[in-house]
Amino acid sequence: MANQSFTKSALKKATIGIVIGAILVVAAQQTHFPPVFQAMFFIYAILGAVVFILLDAPPMKRLEGGKAVVALLVFYVLLSGLYVAGASLLPQFDPADEADKIVKVLKIRKSRSEQGKADELIARAKALDERAKAITAQLSSLGAGAQVEVASTSGGGAPASGDIIAKGKEQWELQECYNCHKLFGSGGKKRGPVLDNIGSLMTPEALREKILDPKSWMAEGFDKQYKKGKMPDKYRDLMFEEEIAALVAFLATLKDTSVETPKPIKMN
Amino acid sequence: MKTLHRSIWMVLGLLMGGAALAYGQEVPAPQVDFPYSGNRTAVWVVANLHILFAAFILGAPIFAVVAEWLGYKNNDPKYDRLAKEVIKVTVILYSMTALTGGLFIFVLLGTYPEFSTWLIQHFFLVFAVIYPLLFILETIILYTYFYSWDSMKGSLKGRHIALGILLNIVGTVTLFVIDGPTSFMNTPAKAAEGVSLVEFVSNAGLWDKMANYSWMPLNLHRLVGNVTFGGFIAGLIAAYMYMRSKTDAERSYYDWMGFVGNMIGVGALLLLPFMGYLLAFELCDYDASICPYMMADQLSMFFEMQGAMIGLIFLASNYYIWLSLKRIEGVEQIRMSGFVALAVLVMPAVMGLAWKMFPPPEWRSLIFLVALILVPMVLGRLPGLKNFTVSAFTMIKIGFLMIVVADAIWMTPHGFVPTQGLATHELELPEWAQELALMPAKNAAAFTLVFLTIVNYIMYNRAIKQGTIIWGKIDFASQFVLIFLAFSAIWTMGLMGTVRSLTRKYYHVYNLVPDFTAEAFTPTLAYSAWWITGVTIVFYAVVSFAILVTLKPASAKVEAH
Repeated sequence: MANQSFTKSALKKATIGIVIGAILVVAAQQTHFPPVFQAMFFIYAILGAVVFILLDAPPMKRLEGGKAVVALLVFYVLLSGLYVAGASLLPQFDPADEADKIVKVLKIRKSRSEQGKADELIARAKALDERAKAITAQLSSLGAGAQVEVASTSGGGAPASGDIIAKGKEQWELQECYNCHKLFGSGGKKRGPVLDNIGSLMTPEALREKILDPKSWMAEGFDKQYKKGKMPDKYRDLMFEEEIAALVAFLATLKDTSVETPKPIKMN
Repeated sequence: MKTLHRSIWMVLGLLMGGAALAYGQEVPAPQVDFPYSGNRTAVWVVANLHILFAAFILGAPIFAVVAEWLGYKNNDPKYDRLAKEVIKVTVILYSMTALTGGLFIFVLLGTYPEFSTWLIQHFFLVFAVIYPLLFILETIILYTYFYSWDSMKGSLKGRHIALGILLNIVGTVTLFVIDGPTSFMNTPAKAAEGVSLVEFVSNAGLWDKMANYSWMPLNLHRLVGNVTFGGFIAGLIAAYMYMRSKTDAERSYYDWMGFVGNMIGVGALLLLPFMGYLLAFELCDYDASICPYMMADQLSMFFEMQGAMIGLIFLASNYYIWLSLKRIEGVEQIRMSGFVALAVLVMPAVMGLAWKMFPPPEWRSLIFLVALILVPMVLGRLPGLKNFTVSAFTMIKIGFLMIVVADAIWMTPHGFVPTQGLATHELELPEWAQELALMPAKNAAAFTLVFLTIVNYIMYNRAIKQGTIIWGKIDFASQFVLIFLAFSAIWTMGLMGTVRSLTRKYYHVYNLVPDFTAEAFTPTLAYSAWWITGVTIVFYAVVSFAILVTLKPASAKVEAH
């Protein structure tokens, strides 16, 4: 009898949940929410219904021995499946995209790091060379007449320079400037100013100064609310000179006057 | 003299030549490559497992000593038994903490030898002296605390509790010490004006590196998290033992234990969102680009999952209160001011607006907050209005409705996209509704969840005082709720630990030591979820085994009151 009553109540609540969900979907459609958000609202209505069904569920029978163990194992499998499925249903990015980006960012750093090690070895070799020459000179003065061949090191040719503006645009992507600044209609989300016309408002020198010392310039309207004037000051440590030069060259080309770009203010 | 001089130089030359030859012929160490998972995931899994055990052995003693003190103060043997049972399991799991810790060091050294050496050199005193000494000290105190339980009774009980407090002090200091290098990897010391980070760090003292931006927030977050964890694991122990119980007395005791575990777990859980905010705030303060990376870029869907988990945990803990209320005789008489119900209904909207107008740390938003809490209390006492009340069950149902609403707000992202670069209008909130995705709305949602849970507990306590609680007669489903809470808390810890590590992006030490390996990218949420689930299951299996081996219902001697 109690079970019948619960079934009736559960059906009633499920129906209410579906109706509320449908109302939410229609309301969301009318107010221009994209379909993915409409689906989210519907899911919440159903979740609410499930919660209210559970509140009036009849007491569960006590489980003992093997039944309890099986119930527990099934429960764990369900929980694990629910969490893995839930996480998998959310949008996923392709790690290959980021991996490509990381390779580009780290390439120069790795080569510099290896270059650094090579430089250190060359310096040590030079010191040894000096010491060897001194020993040779000493031995000569002693009449030993030793001959020491000194290996010469040859440096590689400088890599050919590419299109600096294209490289600057690449830096825009690699340094993820788009996370805070809107450009060409995408990215940003109001954390930092739109930059479509920044080339008309700042000189390359000023742009460079802003990147290296973010507190040197502030965009109008971005100095108070939500600490928006907090551009990281890490680029002077993280970027190499040629990367900064390329980024500045790219930013200097942004002269779309049709896009309202906040006015830069020179700070003290 | 000349001959001596010449001989010395020749010997030196021979030695250098020999050394160079030996160096040239040195056999390079074989490359360590973990099959299937890869090196980075292997380190992640072992570290996660170690942290879970470490969190338990640090959190459980806090829980235990509080319980022991309550038992001593109220002369209630139930609390003493609870404390001892929790410590029994802790002692077993202590060895697992050491074992996984050792495994973690070996795996890290084998897979990332250069970075490991670099980190050890920077924190040599910590790794070689301070941490081992603290660990040994903690081991001695823990075993003394456990094995002196029965001998230090009566007049010696106070000293035994003092020993427990000492154990917790040493445990907390150990946590704070090891958090130094951990937090340093996220927020290495910030360079002074005009000095490069590399130069600054190479000259910085140990304290400069330890006391970095995220050190204290991480300490507090982990400390509170460990107490939550200890509470929920106590709930898990209670649930297992309740299921194994053969007598009403045993069921009564473990029902009570589950209630206490859940109460402590939820009590600490209420503070966790704020500790999390503090940690995120400091991370963002250190480098503002971490914020969009977490909230809008690769980690945004990880936070979406976190929102879902927190929502489920709050739903479950309140559902446990609901099931507990149902077995209280006389609960129908318990009523609460209708103005509290109204305050709960308007809370997300009012606080969202308040925090939009006066973002923290602007103090004026507190006026709204205090008004929402105090006005219902004042109105509910006024003659003529005090009869406007709702029943306990109605209040909790309103609470559940608002938990769903608050979680919906918490989980509404700016866009359903895994990275900002893929955002399009078809996947983003309409312009007019963008406030839903901003911090004022999220803060309001989090606060509503916390406030509701507090209201439910106040009501529950009122019900216990005015009605008659029948221990051991709770709905059997409640035991699954306790198990669910422990499992979900562990899973969420794994998820958030993953997020904290991933905020370093492709660096071992953020902005300082790049990870040049091919695995240095952010894994997908789905991939992460598989591993987090795997780690949770392994941890759960070990803890379950420890509980079943250590505790036996038949050994119970104290009957619950």
